[in-house]
Amino acid sequence: MKYKESKNFFPHSDNPQRGDFVERVVDPRQAYYKVKPVNADDEIPADAAEFAGK
Amino acid sequence: MAAQPAKDTSTQELEQKQEWWWIAEKKRSKRLDYLRKAVWKKGALGGNYAPGIKVDLEIPQLFTNMWNFWRYDPPMLRRAKSMAHVLENMPIFITDHAQLVGYMGTLPHTLAWRVDGATMVNEELYNEPGVMPEPEQASLKRVADLNAYWAGNTAVDKLARVLDPEDAVKFLSGAIGWGAPTSAYGYSGKDYEFMFAQRHGFEDILDLIDQSIEKAEDLTMGNPGPEILPVYDRIQNWDAMKIMLNAAIAYARRYARLARILAEHYETDPKRKEELLRLAQTCENVPAKAPSTFQESLQYDHFVQILARLEAHEGAWPARPDYYHWPMYEKDVIKEKNITREEALDLVGEFMIRAYEVGGFGPRWAREGLQGITGTWVWTLGGVNKDGSDACNDLTLAFLQAARLVRVANPTFGFRWHPKVRDEVMREVFECIRHGLGYPSIRNDPLLIQNAMHWHGHPLEEARTWVHQACMSPCPTTKHGVQPMRMASATANCAKMVEYALHNGYDHVVQMQMGPKTGDARKFKTFDELFAAWTTQMKWLINTLVRTVNLGRYKDPEFYGRPFLSAISERAVESGLDVVSPVGDRGNCWVTGFTWVENADSLAAVKKLVFDEKRYTMDDLLNALENNWNGYEQMRRDFVNDAPKWGNDDDFVDGIMVRCLQEVAKHSREIKCPSGNSWPLLPENVSGNIHYSSIVGALPNGRRLGDALYDGGISPGPGLDKKGPSAVLKSCGKIDHVGDGRAFLLNQRLSPSQLAGEKGYQLWKAYIRTWADLGLDHVQFNMVSDETLRAAQKDPEKYQEVIVRVAGYSAHFVDISRKTQDNIIQRTVQGI
Repeated sequence: MKYKESKNFFPHSDNPQRGDFVERVVDPRQAYYKVKPVNADDEIPADAAEFAGK
Repeated sequence: MAAQPAKDTSTQELEQKQEWWWIAEKKRSKRLDYLRKAVWKKGALGGNYAPGIKVDLEIPQLFTNMWNFWRYDPPMLRRAKSMAHVLENMPIFITDHAQLVGYMGTLPHTLAWRVDGATMVNEELYNEPGVMPEPEQASLKRVADLNAYWAGNTAVDKLARVLDPEDAVKFLSGAIGWGAPTSAYGYSGKDYEFMFAQRHGFEDILDLIDQSIEKAEDLTMGNPGPEILPVYDRIQNWDAMKIMLNAAIAYARRYARLARILAEHYETDPKRKEELLRLAQTCENVPAKAPSTFQESLQYDHFVQILARLEAHEGAWPARPDYYHWPMYEKDVIKEKNITREEALDLVGEFMIRAYEVGGFGPRWAREGLQGITGTWVWTLGGVNKDGSDACNDLTLAFLQAARLVRVANPTFGFRWHPKVRDEVMREVFECIRHGLGYPSIRNDPLLIQNAMHWHGHPLEEARTWVHQACMSPCPTTKHGVQPMRMASATANCAKMVEYALHNGYDHVVQMQMGPKTGDARKFKTFDELFAAWTTQMKWLINTLVRTVNLGRYKDPEFYGRPFLSAISERAVESGLDVVSPVGDRGNCWVTGFTWVENADSLAAVKKLVFDEKRYTMDDLLNALENNWNGYEQMRRDFVNDAPKWGNDDDFVDGIMVRCLQEVAKHSREIKCPSGNSWPLLPENVSGNIHYSSIVGALPNGRRLGDALYDGGISPGPGLDKKGPSAVLKSCGKIDHVGDGRAFLLNQRLSPSQLAGEKGYQLWKAYIRTWADLGLDHVQFNMVSDETLRAAQKDPEKYQEVIVRVAGYSAHFVDISRKTQDNIIQRTVQGI
């Protein structure tokens, strides 16, 4: 699956080929949202799980 | 599973049991409770990182990729472009319930790794079990590749090539001092006057730089001459600063975007959604613009600190939050009532938590010397305004109250006491101490302002802005007063002065001729011969460290450099020079004197028992010391019990202490920093007294190799102060706290039961009055009972939150080594 196909991918308005991929992480101490800039056409790695939004 | 208090235990019962940490849990908001417990503690437990803590490899990789790509650029521009790439691409995160953001790693449990600082630190990564991210083999390969790239090319490697080889070997032996002479591992003062008092957002600074570049380009297009030649380099430096400022604004707006995405696409709770949108607006506004709300003010400050830490491994956190955030607090909480005091308290508590979670990978010697923490974040509270009026305000109280709610070991506070401090402020200060935090330390503001003027020529108005640059040393926050780079490397293991004086400069522990040959001590006939040898060794030791540090400072723009720090410093913005350049810096250097008091007690013991009373010969003494007192136990006891000890108001030993300090002070004026100013001594220990216990040989005060050294800068030896707290203060009062050195750390233990209630407060206040009248500059307190500390040793899980004052910092008791724990318990509990 490519980033651009995920509902957790948010393209940059000035360059839709780049965007932010949001992940939800719950570690032993805290829960947080993490984001990193990615290329829209790159494949999502297996360890970056999809999660549901509202 | 962590222990929990019985649900039905009342606050009153907990107060009686002095279990203040459970009271904090009961009293703090749900948000603060969540955020406090969410922290991944980065301080090493005795020397080892806690399970789950991982080194961040993302940032070093991003940085190295671009550092290699821009290899033909000059140093400052190259660093700026590489850092901008990091800020643009590093993963960022927002913790649930957070209202402030920014972290120096890519995930909450990661330690930042300064990959370009020192090869010797990088190689230590291989020795630390558990810190490699999973999958471990892939991480090890990545570390190996990064280390191969940087080997021989880090800041310290570059400096080592120009150092005198003999200085380099002795410095790196680990026997006489510690630290790395580069701003890669520095304590950088921040020009708060420029950013906060003058209200410059980063866009304002960009405008200033553009104006400077325009003028400079006019010059370079004008008549040729030697005066325009340096301008070309300065234009490149300004470009570097601009890159960093723009990257910093963009970095903050990445948080704004994430907060907005979360609010609009994920968050279902209306209240949290509102918070996220406010956070988004905050990060849109700062650091681009000067802050216009209290939240923005704190967030601006936190971004500055995080960005500085992404640029270098900063070991300290000079700040004065109640002073620089007061205007926005006053506006939002008091004048316009935009937020309630409780909401402000939540922000203050979170501001402290955000600092507490910060941590970078450090070498083992640093972790052992700073057990339980990753740097000395000593924030300054109180003090006076530039016109000399009382600067304490409601935000001062809020910080003191929030500290008791979040109970973090880092940051701690140093409180600038002066005679005009109101009683309600003193009560809040005392409550923090009574709650066992170990902080604030109390600093004598009038005296330290005078000290700053005496040693470094800071004008009165600037001296009054001072903050703790590290644990102890005051430094102004002004254009010419702020010190951008103070490395821990002028940190002297002072006990070696007397050790080398007795052993002709030879170090029996590292087995090397270290100091100069000052003569066979067995042949000394008078105390003055020994003292002359001591003076020579003292000068040699300080000179060796200071030469190294001075060279490190002078070469730093070439070998490391700080484009971001330059961009937030008025001096650099105006001049176009890297702020680490000594040009325009008034100078604020000091030599940190670890293991200092052993000199006075040792010299006094030799004078009394060998030269005055002739109970033993120098041969007897040297034989005993060379055998680490083994086989000489009765003699050792005589040297412990029959020789006077510092801290008992005994003129015999106190006179020797003052004589030693005056010799150092005299030499301090003879040696100069790159700005041409003096290098005064500042006796203190962090937990260096434990680190150096296996490096300092046997001493005439009765100490054996391996025994813990004394804990403070002028604290008496544990259990050796037998005449009460007044005698301790009187001994310390014989020192001139202006002319004899930069500052003097005094640890005292007080009895929590004696200081309970109103009577306890009044006793403590009277003690502080005496302390001030005697002219001491510093005192800090442990007020946790032996009973609690021993219980914590026995059942650490139940006492996870007990905090103690170690030296210039506080730590959770369970995070420090057993040896340090015992050393703290051994300190005399003073009845006042």
